[in-house]
Amino acid sequence: MNENKFIRLIKREKFSFFLKLCIYFVLISISFVYLEPIFRMISMAFMSTTDVIDPSIDWIPHNPSINNIKVASTVLNLKKTLFNSFWFSALLATSQTIVSALTGFALSRFKFKFKNFWIIMIIVAFIIPMPLLMIPRLMMFISFQNILGFNLIGTPIPQVLMALLGQGVNSTILILIFYNFFNLIPYSLDEAAMLDGASPSQVFWKVAMKISASTVLVVFLFSFVWNWNETYVTGTLVRSSIDLLPSKLNMFDSAFESYAAGSRGTAQFRLNEAYKMSATLISITPLLILYAFVQKQFIQGVENTGITGE
Amino acid sequence: MAKRNKLQNKKITAYQRRQNKKGYKFMLPWIIGFMLFTAFPFLATIYLSFTEVRQTILGFSIKFIGFNNYFMAFFENVDFVPNLLGYLYMIIPYTFVILVVSFILSYLLNKIEHGRGLLRTIYFLPVIIMSGPVMSQILDSASIAGEGEIVRNFTDIFIVQMIFSYSPKFARLLLSVFDQLSLILWFTGIPIILFINGLQKINPSLIEAAKIDSANGWQILWKITIPIIKPIALVVTIFTIANLGAFSTNPVYDLIKKATENTSGGLGLASTFAWIYSVIVLILIGLAFLILKNRDEVRRP
Repeated sequence: MNENKFIRLIKREKFSFFLKLCIYFVLISISFVYLEPIFRMISMAFMSTTDVIDPSIDWIPHNPSINNIKVASTVLNLKKTLFNSFWFSALLATSQTIVSALTGFALSRFKFKFKNFWIIMIIVAFIIPMPLLMIPRLMMFISFQNILGFNLIGTPIPQVLMALLGQGVNSTILILIFYNFFNLIPYSLDEAAMLDGASPSQVFWKVAMKISASTVLVVFLFSFVWNWNETYVTGTLVRSSIDLLPSKLNMFDSAFESYAAGSRGTAQFRLNEAYKMSATLISITPLLILYAFVQKQFIQGVENTGITGE
Repeated sequence: MAKRNKLQNKKITAYQRRQNKKGYKFMLPWIIGFMLFTAFPFLATIYLSFTEVRQTILGFSIKFIGFNNYFMAFFENVDFVPNLLGYLYMIIPYTFVILVVSFILSYLLNKIEHGRGLLRTIYFLPVIIMSGPVMSQILDSASIAGEGEIVRNFTDIFIVQMIFSYSPKFARLLLSVFDQLSLILWFTGIPIILFINGLQKINPSLIEAAKIDSANGWQILWKITIPIIKPIALVVTIFTIANLGAFSTNPVYDLIKKATENTSGGLGLASTFAWIYSVIVLILIGLAFLILKNRDEVRRP
């Protein structure tokens, strides 16, 4: 009797071990599907011209060279574009971080009238599709430009203004991250500061912001990455007057498309493809490096939005 | 007594007034921005969709033309209706697949102990690097790797043939999902994190109690896990619809953008396109809400 039970237990152990193995197999195979485009880009970027044309080479280049990357970086005008992208995204991310912190603080600390209404509006602002808002925004900025007498379209001013007033890329998520973090800070801390005569803005800058340095970092990074990748709003408002990496990549794409039209699979097409992929790889490399260092913070940032139901 | 009550009331209102003042002081930038850049444009687009907008040296000349733009969008413009249908064909199966796949992946991730962090990092990676140009690059890379041909080979598989004989449309849809699996999976980053977070919050004693009542894993999944996870599924669905629409895989975006760039007279038509498109997106979100909302509240007497 006892022995029987023991055997059954072992069988069950074995089965669950087998099940685990299956789960690992599935998860690891799927992670390959996620990474395949990136692997493909890396492999294509390091192929020499003969490797690219040779259809028998699929993944590993025979004569590796960095020629493709060289060509792509000259076409992208890499140094200048990279620099532009950096300051542009950093500027927008800074403004977005400040306004999200202020809004999150207001929502978590004060019980003002129509608070729930504003929370719903913050979520609605996320759902409304961008094109619906972009046309009047564009018209507004063109009208301002005519009144003020200097160019707004083609400069970062409109986007900075929008970011500063909390209408940048995915502002809603950033606000929610701050809102939930501030909810975790005990209110007695604020009270202690206020007893010592601090005003609400002092509480915000000297208490709340000092504790939430890690959250500020997370929000800043998210905002940075999203602004880096954003092309629709930037394409409408800045157009091509500032060379930014993703929009330049877009133009790169359309430029090569006219070369390779209708000739999929030919040598010329594959060669252009290799250049394009190298360009794409270059444009995502800064983000990949960033992610390698702070991936944990990114994931925790999403967990802290608290939209998973508290 | 009445006096005291009045005094208390006054006290409360004074406190409330101070709270209002402080709250709105911090909210002010956001509220101004919302009014200026979201609420006003939202209403303006509705108006603009009934007008013809011309850009002149002095500014914009806006002429009211009634339903002409709508007529043009549906009956005269050759691109709009096909693109809109293309959008629907994309968004409905994609959202469904993203929802199911991200739930399954997070369920499996929740079952293992080792390497969870690493796998989660890989699944989240696309959120960081995903942008319009990169997406179109992936679509191209799929075509260069001949993945399209691989899918064509799938049609030789018996099950696919079986589905094909029942409903060719559904089979084609299925194949298109497989064709762009990489692309679809790239949208699962944030949903997976949300689902894992939700799964970890399920009280283990609930599952233990079910096990004592001799429920098997399948029953636990359907009777406990999924009902608890449903609100998160709603959030994920809404997020996915909003997120999917914003990428260059969306055919309607291109159309609107082209109409917007045509400043000599296209802005009115562009806002009509944008308005119709947005109504459809909002309807989709509303449907998701109806399907996934908690029915318990209705059942309760």
